[in-house]
Amino acid sequence: MNERRWLARSERWLRILLRVYPVDFRDEMGNAVVHTYRDACSAALRSGGVPALMRVWVRALWDSLRNGLGERVRPAASWRRSGNWGRDMEIAMRRLLRAPMFMAAMVGTLTVGLGAFAVVYAVVDKVLIAPMAYERPDDLYFVWRDYGKIFDLKRGWLAGTDVAELQKSGGVIAEAAGLLSQPFLLSTRGGADPIEITVTTTSPNLFDLLGVRPALGRGFARDEVGPKRPPVIVLSHGLWNRLGADPSIVGRTVWVTGGLYTVIGVMPRDFHFVRHASLGPPSRPADAYTTFAMNLATTNPNSGQYAGLIRARRGTPPEQVAAAVGAVGRVIDLRDFQGSGMSIYPTSLKPDLVAEVRPALIVLGFAAAFLLLVLMVNVAALLLARASKREHEFAVSRALGANGAALMRATILEGGLLGVIGGVGGALVGIWGTRAFVALAPLDLPRRESIVVDWRVAAVVIGAGALLGLLAAVTPAVWAARASLSSLLASSAVRGGGGHQRMRRAMVVAQVALSVVLLSAGGLVVRSFEQLLRANPGFTPDGLLTMRVPIPIPLVPKPEDARSLQNRVHAALASLPGVTRVSAANALPMTAGASQSNITIAGAPGNTGDRDHDNPLGDYIATRAGYIEAMGMRLVAGRAFNEQRHDSVREAVVDRVLANHFFPAGSPLGASIDFRGSRLTIVGVVEQARLYDLHRDGRPQVYVRAEDWDFGMRGLAFVVRSGRPPETLIADARSAIRNIDPRLTITQVRTMNEIIDEALSQQRLGAVLIGGFALGALLLAAMGLFGVVSGSVTRRRHELAMRLVLGADYGRVMRLVIGEGALLIGFGVLIGAPGVYAAGGLIRGVLVGVSPSDPLTLVAVAAGLTIVAMAACYLPARRVLDIDPARSLRQ
Amino acid sequence: MDRDKRKIDAFLPVRVVEFQILLSLAAGERHGYGIIRDAEARGDNKVPDVGTLYRALARMTEQGLITGVDRGKVADAGDDERRIYYKLTSLGLKVARAEAARLAALTRAAQLGGLLSEVLS
Repeated sequence: MNERRWLARSERWLRILLRVYPVDFRDEMGNAVVHTYRDACSAALRSGGVPALMRVWVRALWDSLRNGLGERVRPAASWRRSGNWGRDMEIAMRRLLRAPMFMAAMVGTLTVGLGAFAVVYAVVDKVLIAPMAYERPDDLYFVWRDYGKIFDLKRGWLAGTDVAELQKSGGVIAEAAGLLSQPFLLSTRGGADPIEITVTTTSPNLFDLLGVRPALGRGFARDEVGPKRPPVIVLSHGLWNRLGADPSIVGRTVWVTGGLYTVIGVMPRDFHFVRHASLGPPSRPADAYTTFAMNLATTNPNSGQYAGLIRARRGTPPEQVAAAVGAVGRVIDLRDFQGSGMSIYPTSLKPDLVAEVRPALIVLGFAAAFLLLVLMVNVAALLLARASKREHEFAVSRALGANGAALMRATILEGGLLGVIGGVGGALVGIWGTRAFVALAPLDLPRRESIVVDWRVAAVVIGAGALLGLLAAVTPAVWAARASLSSLLASSAVRGGGGHQRMRRAMVVAQVALSVVLLSAGGLVVRSFEQLLRANPGFTPDGLLTMRVPIPIPLVPKPEDARSLQNRVHAALASLPGVTRVSAANALPMTAGASQSNITIAGAPGNTGDRDHDNPLGDYIATRAGYIEAMGMRLVAGRAFNEQRHDSVREAVVDRVLANHFFPAGSPLGASIDFRGSRLTIVGVVEQARLYDLHRDGRPQVYVRAEDWDFGMRGLAFVVRSGRPPETLIADARSAIRNIDPRLTITQVRTMNEIIDEALSQQRLGAVLIGGFALGALLLAAMGLFGVVSGSVTRRRHELAMRLVLGADYGRVMRLVIGEGALLIGFGVLIGAPGVYAAGGLIRGVLVGVSPSDPLTLVAVAAGLTIVAMAACYLPARRVLDIDPARSLRQ
Repeated sequence: MDRDKRKIDAFLPVRVVEFQILLSLAAGERHGYGIIRDAEARGDNKVPDVGTLYRALARMTEQGLITGVDRGKVADAGDDERRIYYKLTSLGLKVARAEAARLAALTRAAQLGGLLSEVLS
C-alpha cells in the first residue's frame, strides 16, 4: 500500500525531472526512462526502504541535470532527421489511411477543385503573365495609325511609307518592320493539290528584330527584299511537319500561289508569331514567312495595310518610345496629310495581344480563387467534424499532459498533407484539363499554343493546395488545442461533441455567402451567353456551307478571267444535288473581314454639317448576285442585286443602320454614295448581317456588286444553301472545284453555324467554366450544410424524439430542424449580398445584354440556392425523424 | 571485407556505457533496467545512470549497433508491456567483438609492460 504511494510520488518526481530533457528525447525515450527509474525505485524501496529511495531520487536529479542539459547541448541522436514534424507527418498519414472514405472524399474534392484552379491558373499565367518567347519582349511594340479628325479610325494599319520612315528614324527606335498577313496557296507538287497557309510577308529584319534564329537553314539576308530578286520563304516548324519534316527541304523550291519560292530556313518548334490586327482578333499564327517584293518607301502613303513592328533600344521607357514614334508621326502627317492630324502611336506587344481576353480571364481568375475559398472552408469544416469525433482523444491526451501545440501541429499537418495530396491530384487533373481547354478554346485565343501545365504551374498548384490545407486546418487545430476534459465532461451531458457546432455553423454561413457570390456571377455570365445565343445575327445560318475559293493572280492574271472562273465555280456549286441557292461575298458575317471606307451621301437629310457625323466609317462588302437571298437576310426596302447587271450603274444595298443614320425619316432608295471616285446608287435596304459581335450592330454596311470592284475579288467566300446537312456537301464541292482546275482548292470550309460557334467560343468557354465553378461551390456549400444539420439532428435526436412522443406533430419538428438550416442560409445570403454587388461590378465588362444587377438572375440564383440548401437540410432531418421515437429514446 | 573492417574500426574505442550495453545485449535482449541490473551483477565499478544509458541507447540505435525489439518476439515480457527491449544488430555484435579484442590486446600489452601485477586469464 505504502510502497505504491511512494512509487506514484516517485513517478511524479521523475516526470518533473524529465522536463530538463529536450522535447525530442522526452517524446522518444521519456517513458522508458521513467519506467526504468521506477524499477530502480521499487528495488531500492524493497532493499533499503525510504532512505534508499531518497538516494535514488537525488541520484535521478543529478542524472537528469547532467544528461538532460547535456542532451540539450549535444543530442544523442539526430531527432530532427525526420524530426517531430516528420513523425507527426507519419502519424497524420497513418490516421488518414485509417479513414479511407474520409480521405477519398477530401482528396477527391480537393483534386477536382484544385484541378479547375490549375487549368485557370495555367491559362491566366501563360496568356497574361508569362513573357513572350522573343528576346527582350518588353522592348517590342506594334505601331498604329490614329486618323484623328480625318475619320474615325483609332487603330489603323500603317502605310509602307510609314514603316520606311520608322526604319530610318534611328534614335530609340532600333529596328522597324512592316508586316502583311495573307492566305497563300502552297503546293509541293508543281501547283496541284495546294493547301492554304497563312503567310507573313515582312521586311527582311523580322527575325533579327524578334531576336530568333531559324532551327534549320538561315533567315533573310538584309538585302533579300524588293522587286526583281528570287523569292525566298522560311517555314514555321508546324508547316515543315505538315510537309513531312524533311530537313533536305532547305534549298528546294515550292509553289506558292503561282510562283516558285526557295525554302531557305525552318523556324524552331517553340517559335510562334502572331501579327496583331488593326480590328478584330489577331490573325492566325504565321505558317511561313517571306519578304516584300517591292520597296515599302515607294508605296502609296494613303493605303494603310501594314502592321508596324518596332524594337526599341534596350530598356527605353515606354513614354520615350511613344514620344519617338509620335515625332515620326508628325513628319508623316505634315508630308502625306498636310498636317490634318493623323498620328501614329506604339502599343506594347503583350498587353495589345491579350487586351481582348484580359477582362474575361481576370473574371475567370477571380472565380477560381473563390472556388478555392469555398473549398478551403469545406475542408476546414470536414477537418473540424473529424476533430470533433476525436474530441475524447484530444481531451484525454490534454489531460495526460500532451501540450496543446502538439495537438495543433498534428491537426494542421493533417490539413497540409491532404492539401498536398489534393494539389498533386489537381496538377495531374490540370494537365489533362488544360489539354481539353486548349482543344475547346477559340483558335484566336492569344498565345493558345503556350498553354500547358509545366513544373512551375504544378508547383504553384501544389503549393496552393498545401496552403489551403494548412489554413483550413487552423480553425479545427485551435479548437482541438482548446479541448479539455472539463469541457468534454460538460458537453457530454448532451451526448458528446458540442463546441465545434458553433464553428461549423459559422463555416456554413461563410460557404453559403461565398457560393451566393459565385453563383450570382455564374448565373449572370451564363445568362449573358444565353442572350448571345438568342441574338438575331441578321441572317439565317442553318443549312449554309461556306468556303473560300482563292484565285491567285499568278494563276489567273486578268481580272475578267478571274470573274469568268468565278462564274464557273458558281455554276458548279449550284448544280450540286440539293443546293437551292449559291452566292459569294468577300466578307462573311462574324468574320470581321470587310474593307472599311468613309461613307458620304451628299444631300442626305440626316447630314448635320459635322464632319465626323457625316462621314462615318463603314464596312464595304462585295457580293455576287443572290447573296442576300442565300444568306437569308431580311430585305427592309427596295430590292437585292439581281442577275442583270449594267456596267453604267453601280448599285449598292445598304443596311438599316446606315439608312437610319442618313435618312432618319425618309427612304434612302435612289440616293447615291460617293465611293472610290464614282457613285453608288442605293437600290435596297437590309437588316444588318453582323460582322463583329453577334449581339449588337457594328459599323454601317454597304453591299456592292463583286463584279463592279476589284477589292476582295480574288478571295471570295462562296455560300451554299441546301436542303442537305451542310457537312455532306463538302466532298462534292471539293471535287466540283477540282474538276474546274486542279490548281484551285477550297479553303476555310465551314458551315455558317461553325463560324458562329467559333465567334462565340470564348464566351461559351467562360460561361461553362464559371457556371461549373458556381455549381461546384453550391455543391460544396450543400455538403457543408448537410453535415451541420445531420450532426445537429443526430445530437438532438433524444430531444426531438421526446418532442414527438409528447405529441408535437411531425411537420412541426421538421420545421424546427429546417428552421435552423434556413437561418444559416439566410445569414449567408445576407453576408454574401455585398459580395454579389462587388462581383457584379467586376464582371460588368464581360456581360452582354444583362445588367450586373439583373433581378431575374439574382432571384433565380437565390431561389436555386435556397432549394438546394433546403434539400441539404431536409434529407438528414428526415433520416433521423423517420426513426421510431421509442427506438431513439432507448438508444 | 576491408571496408567492413574500416567501418567497424570507426566505432572504436566505444565508451564505457556503450560497451556495457553491448556486453549486456550480447547475452540476449534486454530492456533498460535489465542492462543496469547486468552491470550491477557484473560488479562493474561504474554502473551507468539511467539518463546516460538512454542517451547511449538512442545514439547506438541511430548508429545501427542495436535495435528496438517488437514486443511480440520477447520471450519473458510478462511485466510491463510498454517497455522497449533492445538487441544487438550484426554490426553491433561485430563492433562488440572488435572492442573486446582491442581491450584484450591492450590488457596483454599492459601485462607485458608490467603494469598489471596480477595475471588475468
